[in-house]
Amino acid sequence: MKIIGITGGKGGTGKSTVATALAFQLAKEHKVLLIDADVDCPNDHLLLNIERKFIKSVKQRIPKWDLEKCTKCGLCGTVCKSNAIVSIPKHTPIFIKEQCNGCGSCKFKCPVNAIYWDEKEIGKIHEGHNYNIDFLSGELKSSEPVSEFIVNSLNEIIETKKEKYDYIIIDTAAGTHCPVIAALEMCDTVFAVTEPTPLGQHDLEIILELLKELKINSNIVLNRSDIGDEELIIKLGKNYNSKIISKIPFSKDIVDNYSKGIPIVNKEILNLIEVIK
Amino acid sequence: MKIVTILSGKGGVGKSSITASLAVELSKDKEIICADCDVDASNLSLVLGAEKYEEWEDLSTNVKAVFDLEKCNSCKKCFNECYFKAIKWENNKPGLKKFSCEGCGLCELVCPENAITMKKIFNAKIGYANTNYGFKVVSAQLKPGESGSGKVVSEVRTKAESLALKTDIMLIDSAAGIGCPVISSVTGSDYAIIITEPTPSGFSDMNKALEIVNHFRIPVGIIINKFDLNLEFTKRIEDFAQGKNLAIIERIPFDKQFAKALVEMEPIIKYDKKYEYIFKNIKNHLLNYLK
Repeated sequence: MKIIGITGGKGGTGKSTVATALAFQLAKEHKVLLIDADVDCPNDHLLLNIERKFIKSVKQRIPKWDLEKCTKCGLCGTVCKSNAIVSIPKHTPIFIKEQCNGCGSCKFKCPVNAIYWDEKEIGKIHEGHNYNIDFLSGELKSSEPVSEFIVNSLNEIIETKKEKYDYIIIDTAAGTHCPVIAALEMCDTVFAVTEPTPLGQHDLEIILELLKELKINSNIVLNRSDIGDEELIIKLGKNYNSKIISKIPFSKDIVDNYSKGIPIVNKEILNLIEVIK
Repeated sequence: MKIVTILSGKGGVGKSSITASLAVELSKDKEIICADCDVDASNLSLVLGAEKYEEWEDLSTNVKAVFDLEKCNSCKKCFNECYFKAIKWENNKPGLKKFSCEGCGLCELVCPENAITMKKIFNAKIGYANTNYGFKVVSAQLKPGESGSGKVVSEVRTKAESLALKTDIMLIDSAAGIGCPVISSVTGSDYAIIITEPTPSGFSDMNKALEIVNHFRIPVGIIINKFDLNLEFTKRIEDFAQGKNLAIIERIPFDKQFAKALVEMEPIIKYDKKYEYIFKNIKNHLLNYLK
């Protein structure tokens, strides 16, 4: 069993296109689980024409105050680093639910045990199946801040299921922040998808730096390789010992199929399969 | 000063390219400042060709746990209580999984031996550059793997405000997604522009972005980028917008000139004069609204 991460730093470089195409190819001969860990904006089901089925709600603990016990001392507000509790002495605390990350400092600090746990739903997990691919997708509820809890919930499911599969492909969000790291930590090897522009180069460098720290082996997939200047990426890759293993030229067909929910099949994706095996 | 935020949900639909050219066009009539609030992947200054920062300083918006193992009595309370599972337990002592630590400080509170202190960490760099077009762009870059992007976004906005004396408009280029940094970018804006593209993903993510701006009750207009890649889907987006009474501000064609402009580090409006007309339209729409 191998876990392969698809990431890239910059948004819109083709992460989902590559992840779904890879899953499609591998699933012809192997047992494949595809995870959409771009929980802010999950799209892999659209690219694979998968009807998603709800399996699980992701919840996060939040404090609730027993106002009979609360002495209005204001200590809960002083320890909250997420600015979720506004406490004015002699007033009951004002709680801003959306800001809360559930850390528990307020509950611990309360001298009269007036705080107990409640919960809020912060997202959902869906499953699906198509083209012989088993599929899991996490989705953050809008205006909730902590995307990585949804990714952690996906990771827990992966742990219980991984022995059933030959390959698990994890498609991450753009950027390098918490939900991306949470997704990458599971991976044996990572493909960083980028484009040959100064923007692609800038964002790729950050993700390669991160992968170096995480000690995860990385390779580069250069998408829309003929639009821009590929030297930018070749040079950067050398500094990080990361090779360009596939170049995918721009093609209107890819865009058309993308819109219709058909995975791309071309020799560049077959190259990737060789690297994985 | 009015604040206008550009967002999209989906990455790579052209936020920074469009923000840069709109900024150049707006700067002909107004005093403006740009705030690059995509602190995971800050690109706006690159699109504007501003490579040299006037200022580029360490920024701290976060703290992390530091353990004094001499004082530690191995009670394991910190390990058991951490909601983010950011503490590992090795050789009967705690250690920090630094990528998981949110800096909440609970471990410091629960430790009976005062063996844990929360220490300030420099998790980002912040600064500004002067563009060739007479305005400044404020940027920050989160260090690889560091958390706290929402707070870094707030710092970028504060910095831009402090530099924006006699400024009419602040243009904010937000990150992809709808999480913490995007919420920080959108809060308190006078107007939001959502960029989308005619694909199922672009459409789905536009709806996510709409949920965020609606949550904060911010007026919004839409730009369809690369509209000619799929005219049928563009029509769907337009029908949807009409049904919801949302303004479609402009449609921009797919054009390889955009990528060439990026490589040359010039906004498309400067690289190819035919785009002046399009950005003038966007500017007029915006100024008319902000009047």
